[in-house]
Amino acid sequence: MRLYRKEGLNVQIISFPNEEVAKGNYLVVEDRETGRSLIVQVVDIQYANIPGILEELLRNYNGDSYIKGEDLDPFEVGNHIEFIQDARLLICKIRASNSDGVLVSANSWLPSRSRAIVKPFPIEKLLIQVKMHEVYSMHLGETMEKKGLCVDVRTLDGGLNIITGKKGTGKSHMSKLLTLSMVKHGAPIVVLDLNGEYAGLGKDVDGKPNEFSGKIHVLTPGKNLQVTLAQLKLGVMLKILVNALNLPGTSAREFRRIWSFLQQKDGLSMSNLGEAIKNWKCNQHVRDALFSRYYTLLSSRLFTDNSAQATSLRDALYKARVGGAVVINLRDISTIGRHIVVEYVLGKLVELLTSWKLRAVFLFAEEAHLYLRETYWDDIVTRMRHFGVFTTFITNQPDTIRENIYSQADNLFLFNFTNEHDLETISRASKADAETVKSVVRDLPPFHCLALGKVVNDFPVVVRVRQLDVLAMGQTRLFFSERNS
Amino acid sequence: MVNAQLPITTTPKYNFPFSEENICLPQKFMELSISSLKKLQPIQPFTESMATSLSTTNTCTKYQKNCAPSTKLFKLEPDRTDTSIVAIDVSSIKLGETKTGILLAVRGAIVWKQADSYRYLRVGPFPFHASEKNKDKIYNRLHQHSQVAHNQKLTTFNLQYIQTRLTTLLERWIQASINQTTRNSLILWDGCLMAGTPETPTKTMAQLLAKARTNGNVILAFSKMTRLFLFGHRITDLVWKHPPPCLVLISNYSDRAGSMHLLGNLYVAKLTVGNCAFRLDVDKELAKMRAIEAVKKLLGNDLFQQSYPETLRLAHIFSTFTANEVLGLQRCIAKESNLKIITRLNLRRLLFGRFGKGSDG
Repeated sequence: MRLYRKEGLNVQIISFPNEEVAKGNYLVVEDRETGRSLIVQVVDIQYANIPGILEELLRNYNGDSYIKGEDLDPFEVGNHIEFIQDARLLICKIRASNSDGVLVSANSWLPSRSRAIVKPFPIEKLLIQVKMHEVYSMHLGETMEKKGLCVDVRTLDGGLNIITGKKGTGKSHMSKLLTLSMVKHGAPIVVLDLNGEYAGLGKDVDGKPNEFSGKIHVLTPGKNLQVTLAQLKLGVMLKILVNALNLPGTSAREFRRIWSFLQQKDGLSMSNLGEAIKNWKCNQHVRDALFSRYYTLLSSRLFTDNSAQATSLRDALYKARVGGAVVINLRDISTIGRHIVVEYVLGKLVELLTSWKLRAVFLFAEEAHLYLRETYWDDIVTRMRHFGVFTTFITNQPDTIRENIYSQADNLFLFNFTNEHDLETISRASKADAETVKSVVRDLPPFHCLALGKVVNDFPVVVRVRQLDVLAMGQTRLFFSERNS
Repeated sequence: MVNAQLPITTTPKYNFPFSEENICLPQKFMELSISSLKKLQPIQPFTESMATSLSTTNTCTKYQKNCAPSTKLFKLEPDRTDTSIVAIDVSSIKLGETKTGILLAVRGAIVWKQADSYRYLRVGPFPFHASEKNKDKIYNRLHQHSQVAHNQKLTTFNLQYIQTRLTTLLERWIQASINQTTRNSLILWDGCLMAGTPETPTKTMAQLLAKARTNGNVILAFSKMTRLFLFGHRITDLVWKHPPPCLVLISNYSDRAGSMHLLGNLYVAKLTVGNCAFRLDVDKELAKMRAIEAVKKLLGNDLFQQSYPETLRLAHIFSTFTANEVLGLQRCIAKESNLKIITRLNLRRLLFGRFGKGSDG
């Protein structure tokens, strides 16, 4: 490989067919005389602009069998010509420069074009240089050089993470990997599981309990997630009514009075609440508004008057405090029901976190736009991280996440996208330049992601996400495969 | 009753394709090429004569008149009798200079046209490193193995002519091979039937033409450029007002110029509509009607673009070197022979700046 051109952060390198280079690979441009080097990443691979190539291709085209022939080439010059023809131009981005073993971000240095040696720079060497994996090692998968990639799990702490990619590329797989890795390191996780995919985390591929079986607590609203009104605080219930069920302010005031009335009588229950609304002296419109919300709450099956059936979310979260995941199974729940459950869970989380009964929690939210109210996005990004809710959004529709959220994300795990609009959306992430994101992400094979951010110390790295020995659930139900089997 | 014997002759099909074994020269070319590249002498001081650019010489230029030339126009009708066409062209290129000499490459191309398809064989490229030390050796060794140029006394020549000489030598060699292996075909050459140069002695050319006649072939030599003038006009301009296809025979044009000897009859061929006409040389020993019939067959069997036969055009295309190939050859030499190409100062540029035109030196 030879250094050809440098313009700003862009470096162009000539590479020959016998040199294995792929998009996402790191290279080092070394100038031994000065003891300095540039660390660059390949973001695109093009054909080198070889003079006379068009004539060569036109002359040797014989697809239409109009002319055929052969070469008597005793010196095998043809191989050398093909070698030149297949020369590639590597479009690279400077990621750092190395001066006497110290990585610095300065890139104004210009290596000698004639002296500089260009060679592959293994990612693990890069991670050693930035002292990444010491104590809290998390095995993410393999680098492009088929070497294991371990990252520091603490880089996910206190931040906002986004996992995005088109369908079937491995987003949920990555999310599960992060969940289990963090559980292994003692982190409490709450998963808002839209498709019931995380229920199998405690089982291996054969359905037998695995090492996480005691640490995965799957809660399904209406089944093993039911609460009594007595377990709720008024604040949480009002959030449900106002945010999830759009209860107007006047009605909310009446509801507050009803709640206080029942609380004073020690009669907080769904049946008593229904009776109280029915007999409460208030405007008929307010009564109707309250009744409609009451019946919605009933139909969500989240609430029960039977204290024996009631689940304590707090207890489940306490269990997860030393490493565990509480999976809220939102599968087969109506849209309104999902909103109610999520409001309840988030309200409860904030309640426990503000009272320091929980130190922090990592929230994994799949397709959050389907159940998070509009104002929550800003809350999560700005306010809730201060309470200790560190969110990871997982979505296959990147435009459902606002641009300001991308720019504030601490870590991004980008899986393949081919749609230009989607690529444009994710390229706005501030963790890498748009060119890198668009070019690399477009060509990622399934189960490969481009990791950006603190987790890779701001060196974009292509990772082949490792396999998990867990029971896969929530897969697409296929018509033909079932009929054939 | 006597059974009538049908007149069975070999069909042109049997001339196509011709086997590689018939080309014995490339082996020698290869050996010499290797030896020229390997047997490097210690670095010699650079001499001025080496820096002068290599220029090709056009030997088919002027002939002295000894009597008044005349012209005769022949209107042509395509003759579609199935006839094989073979075209030969050779290219060479200077790849660069080393401290002791020049690097060059030669390649030949043969294109066969039969029915509706074309087939080609490219011979080479053969890279050479020619220096003052080895130039005579290269040339003499190649000459010794030439099928057409034996018993020729060879003289020392300037290094700047090595490219032309090697090119012509390979061309004559391929032409000789084709002549031997082809029957009843039209053989198209690039250039003219001029002989008497060091690389094409008269005897050599005469032998080539004689062999062609023996095998029933007709050699048609097309010159893309000519400097021959008649009545104050370039000869190719003589046919501008005649509707194509036509052929103008120029008689009584002197066939000698010093040691050089034209062994062909001189024609101007305008074969298709357009502005182009070409000088065409056809073996003088061949009856004029036979030559005209051959051109008619060419018209009936090949495609034409601007009066130029497609088979010969393809031969040129396949033999010529692209910039990409030059890079490949330079790499091949650097890798296999460890020869380093040097860049000499362009004195014209150095002295005259933007006004320094032309090649280096």
